[in-house]
Amino acid sequence: MASRVLTRPPALRSPAFRSIGRSVLLTLPMALWALLMFTPSFRQPGRNLHIGALLVILFMTALFFLMMRTGKTYRWRRYFFVALGLLFPVGFIASLVAVRGTMSIPIERMVSGDTPFCYMVIPMLILPAAVTRTIIFPGSILPTASNPHSIAIMIGLWLALTLVVGKAWCSYVCFFGGIEEGFAALPKRMKIRKLDPRLRLVPWAILLFVVVLSAALFEPVYCMWLCPFKTVTEYPAVHSVTTAIQMGIFITLFAGLVVVLPYLTKKRTQCAFFCPFGAFQSLFNKINLFEIRFDREKCVDCTLCQTSCPTMALSAESIREGKTLLNCMKCGACVDSCKKSAAVWHLKGTKVALKPERARLLFLYGAWAMATMFGGSILANSISTIIGFLPLR
Amino acid sequence: MRARILAVLAYIGAAVTLLIAACVPFVLMGVFSNAVAHAGLHLDPSYSGGTIVRTVAHSGYQMDVYAPVRPRALQQVAAFVQIAFRPVAALPRHVSEEIDLDGDGQPDVRVSFTVPADPHARPSGEVVALNAKYQSFTMPGNYSFSEMMVQSGGAVVVRVPLR
Amino acid sequence: MLGLATGPICLASCGPVVLPWMLVQPQRVRSHVRQLSIFLGARLAGYLAFAAVIWLAGIALARSGTARSWIMGGVQVLLAVGLLIYAAAWPHARCGFVRRRKNDLVQIDAASTATPKPRPTGAIALGFLTGINLCPPFLVAGVRAAQLPTLAAALMFFAVFFVGTAVWFMPFLSLGVVRRTPSFLTVARMAAVLLACWYGFTGGSLLIEKAIYG
Repeated sequence: MASRVLTRPPALRSPAFRSIGRSVLLTLPMALWALLMFTPSFRQPGRNLHIGALLVILFMTALFFLMMRTGKTYRWRRYFFVALGLLFPVGFIASLVAVRGTMSIPIERMVSGDTPFCYMVIPMLILPAAVTRTIIFPGSILPTASNPHSIAIMIGLWLALTLVVGKAWCSYVCFFGGIEEGFAALPKRMKIRKLDPRLRLVPWAILLFVVVLSAALFEPVYCMWLCPFKTVTEYPAVHSVTTAIQMGIFITLFAGLVVVLPYLTKKRTQCAFFCPFGAFQSLFNKINLFEIRFDREKCVDCTLCQTSCPTMALSAESIREGKTLLNCMKCGACVDSCKKSAAVWHLKGTKVALKPERARLLFLYGAWAMATMFGGSILANSISTIIGFLPLR
Repeated sequence: MRARILAVLAYIGAAVTLLIAACVPFVLMGVFSNAVAHAGLHLDPSYSGGTIVRTVAHSGYQMDVYAPVRPRALQQVAAFVQIAFRPVAALPRHVSEEIDLDGDGQPDVRVSFTVPADPHARPSGEVVALNAKYQSFTMPGNYSFSEMMVQSGGAVVVRVPLR
Repeated sequence: MLGLATGPICLASCGPVVLPWMLVQPQRVRSHVRQLSIFLGARLAGYLAFAAVIWLAGIALARSGTARSWIMGGVQVLLAVGLLIYAAAWPHARCGFVRRRKNDLVQIDAASTATPKPRPTGAIALGFLTGINLCPPFLVAGVRAAQLPTLAAALMFFAVFFVGTAVWFMPFLSLGVVRRTPSFLTVARMAAVLLACWYGFTGGSLLIEKAIYG
């Protein structure tokens, strides 16, 4: 009884990592960046867009402040990423319905180059473009009034962002991954615990498959047959058995890999076990300066980091070597979960665990700036679309 | 010493990355986009219709005849020739023309269609092959990349499949 | 000249078969040279067989959509079976696609890097099938061969056409120096299965369509 009285209740929240003043100071550059990014939105007419931009500035700045204050990355990044995943389809579908009246792409839209370009196509474009100088996508190379998301603009954006974030694209930029991250966050515990580690090789096989076959068929095979996100974006109009099969595949893959399996495994199963673009983007981990490393002196091999990794980018061997696997997308889940502070942010070329917070800051400034610029503008547009649907005066 | 040099280089690299990040929306994106736009790439002709080989002027509108597009490698689009009548606004309500597609002076197909009032609606009509190299079809029917009659980009686009 | 000009297209057509197949070969340039030579030899045999048939049957066969669909459908289904056997059999050494060494217990799991020396059967089968896979440049060559006055001329035409296209396959030899890790081999096998599924689907659909609608 006495011991019960004397025992202090466990702390309800983790102790602050930084003081408020210091956190505000570190957040200030990001707040200014957000303001700079959304200044053009305020110059455009439309109250809804202004509200959307203002909310996004506050949202992104608040999340960055919390990252600074608590020292946690994954936890706060997830709010942004899930919001992006959920709101992107809302804005996109609304714009499709407004312009076309349907989510499906009629053949005349493809012929006139009105299909918005999606970065998923990039790996499939390389071989045909290199060999025949042909782009196998029904979009337009330069932006047009009916298609501002042209091929040149989107590839330029991808190249620029990839230089900064590398594979972290998959956790700070991609507007699809948040959907499954949201479903993975719903259950408290994993329902399926054992996953074959060879599954993490499937994206590479799919990448090889779609790249080779797209070069043979002169069409973006992944978009035509395998993209789960066609279900929530746009798809070829169903008018034949073939298109019906394609639609069936899209829906099945979406339901399985984006909804059900993330819920059961608490992993981003589509990203970890399917996405060829993610595999392609992993190659840029080789040239990006930031990574996650493990301080072997502190590590107690509890495997908490391995369990928390949403894409199975850690194996027992890789942790023993103090590294992540090539498919690490630098979401920070392992660092957040490590109770011994053995998982650390690291700048290649420096000593491991010497100044991990400095490495984290340097990485986050770049990654969050890109997230605000790209994902933030999508969020702002989607929010303004939603406000437009609300019965407000 | 080597470790120190490496660390200094690493921090310089990190600073450059941040600099690149700051340049992305203002300079870098545009530079890369321009580079892609001027890389001499073109859309696959199964989407774009290929290149125009002949233009026939009519009163108020023109008709563009494109080069035949044939499938490459295992491409599943059948061979076709595209014809575009533009602008739609200047087209008469009903168009019927015999067209020389291969440039030999002889008509190869007769294309007839009715231009719908709705700019998003598909025209109805038919293509009658006058040369065995081409295939006839009627629209509305089975739309595909090699067989279509649609309004697209301010034109009525007709694709005639080759045998 | 036709072969050289259409080489990249031939490469794109055969790439889905050649690439995963070459990737599961042992990491030795000599082995790649041997296997690719056998593959190209079998492909030449396919070319010559097609040249003989097309010359004897006449130009109508080359231009017949129905015959083309039946041949393509059949070849694609066989390619699917070939790729599946290759993906599933390696490194089991059961099917004759790979050679079983004496007293050799080949590890089946992906952790094994012991790649058994491949038998020529796989290269011959896949080479011949890609040789008669009717891709567009091949059909163009077929039409020209059918118009030639003698069978010998048609065979010679296809042999020269083959040489032109074969040049484009040489870059595949560079795969011989790529390091084979267990993960790498597993990826190549998975890709082979996926490509087999695609060939099976397209070939099967073609055959079913022709069987129903003629």
